[in-house]
Amino acid sequence: MTDNVQTTGKQMGLCLCPVCKKTNPEDAQTCSRCGAHNQARDYSSVQKSWALLITAAILLIPANVYPITTLVNQGKVTHDTIFSGIKHLVHSDMLPIAIIVFTASILVPWLKIIGLAIYLSAISFSLPVSKRRLMAGFHIIEWIGRWSMLDLFVISLTVALVNMGQLLDAKPAPAATAFALVILLTQLAAKVLDTRLLWDRLDLEDDKY
Amino acid sequence: MDLQYASMHHDDIDNSVILCRACDLAVRRRALPSGVRALCPRCHTALYDTPFCSINGMLALCVSALALFLPANLFPVLELHFLGSVRTATVIQGAMAVMDLGYWVVGIAVLVAAVIGPGLLLLSILSQVLLVKMGLNPGWQRDLYKWLLRRHGLFSQLTMLEIYVISFLVSAFQLSDFSDIYFGVGTFSFTMLFLVTLFLQREYNIEHMWSRLND
Repeated sequence: MTDNVQTTGKQMGLCLCPVCKKTNPEDAQTCSRCGAHNQARDYSSVQKSWALLITAAILLIPANVYPITTLVNQGKVTHDTIFSGIKHLVHSDMLPIAIIVFTASILVPWLKIIGLAIYLSAISFSLPVSKRRLMAGFHIIEWIGRWSMLDLFVISLTVALVNMGQLLDAKPAPAATAFALVILLTQLAAKVLDTRLLWDRLDLEDDKY
Repeated sequence: MDLQYASMHHDDIDNSVILCRACDLAVRRRALPSGVRALCPRCHTALYDTPFCSINGMLALCVSALALFLPANLFPVLELHFLGSVRTATVIQGAMAVMDLGYWVVGIAVLVAAVIGPGLLLLSILSQVLLVKMGLNPGWQRDLYKWLLRRHGLFSQLTMLEIYVISFLVSAFQLSDFSDIYFGVGTFSFTMLFLVTLFLQREYNIEHMWSRLND
């Protein structure tokens, strides 16, 4: 860790295959092992990632404002948003479940969108943020993102189990589609991004080695 | 247990150099003791670990996972008893119920993450293992092997069995307010499918699979 001479593949004229992780010469058109298209840096990935992220951020509003489930209990219809559903869980003394659902359906999507926005801003506007810390955050975002699917699984199981007409009936509501799209788009935004760009652009001064 | 390696100087270029996929730093590859992972010294992305990839072990895990796949998807994962009537739901019925009500984005997401993704992943690994056992002869065997390896990242990203297992626990607790909830054979099969797939994915090493094409 004391070595200050940090050589990147680009400086050496080498380039990592995005698919099979083989090291190729930079001027090769395709990877010699798997035949994938070879590219030293994907500069358009920042734009693609921004586009996906902004769409996801817009969809996050209907996902939280509109009801995500509709429950008919003995003729009485109640609509639940993500947040009111969690409040019900807290009131019915199911705190551990409430924490799981809160993490999966509120904390994770918000953290992901804010985190990716900081990450992309750091690349686009060269913000003076520690790259190390950004990268650590990015790994967390990549790993935790899929856990938002929990809410959709729970809805699908509940809908299939609880359908007894006027007596007791559970149905999904408009926010479910918006929420599903938020998950899809944020996953894509993280996947599409070429993180090597971050390490090219920012100054070494922001990191203390 | 993580080892960090200093980056190398720019004048010695040889096959032992690997590039970090996240920040493009050039790092020299060295032999690692088992159970240890090499991290990129600059951005702390995992670079490589000792291959842990036994073909026969993977074959065994793959066959048991496929044997569990059908019961996990055909038997109900949850049973609800409400005022004398019994309702059951399989994974696929859950997805279909949401789709029937017009929420096909949600339904397809559930179907892909819990049924199609895991199915494709298991079939893909099984075919890869069988191709390796057949000797990976030049021609269609190598081409198919490459095609499958290129898609492995997608298949494993689509597989969300662990989240589904947690989700039927959450649903069971939520619904226990209204009614009695029972777990069925499907629940057992699905949880076992998740465990076997977890071990299979631990055993599987994509870079080791790619390196089989080198010799």
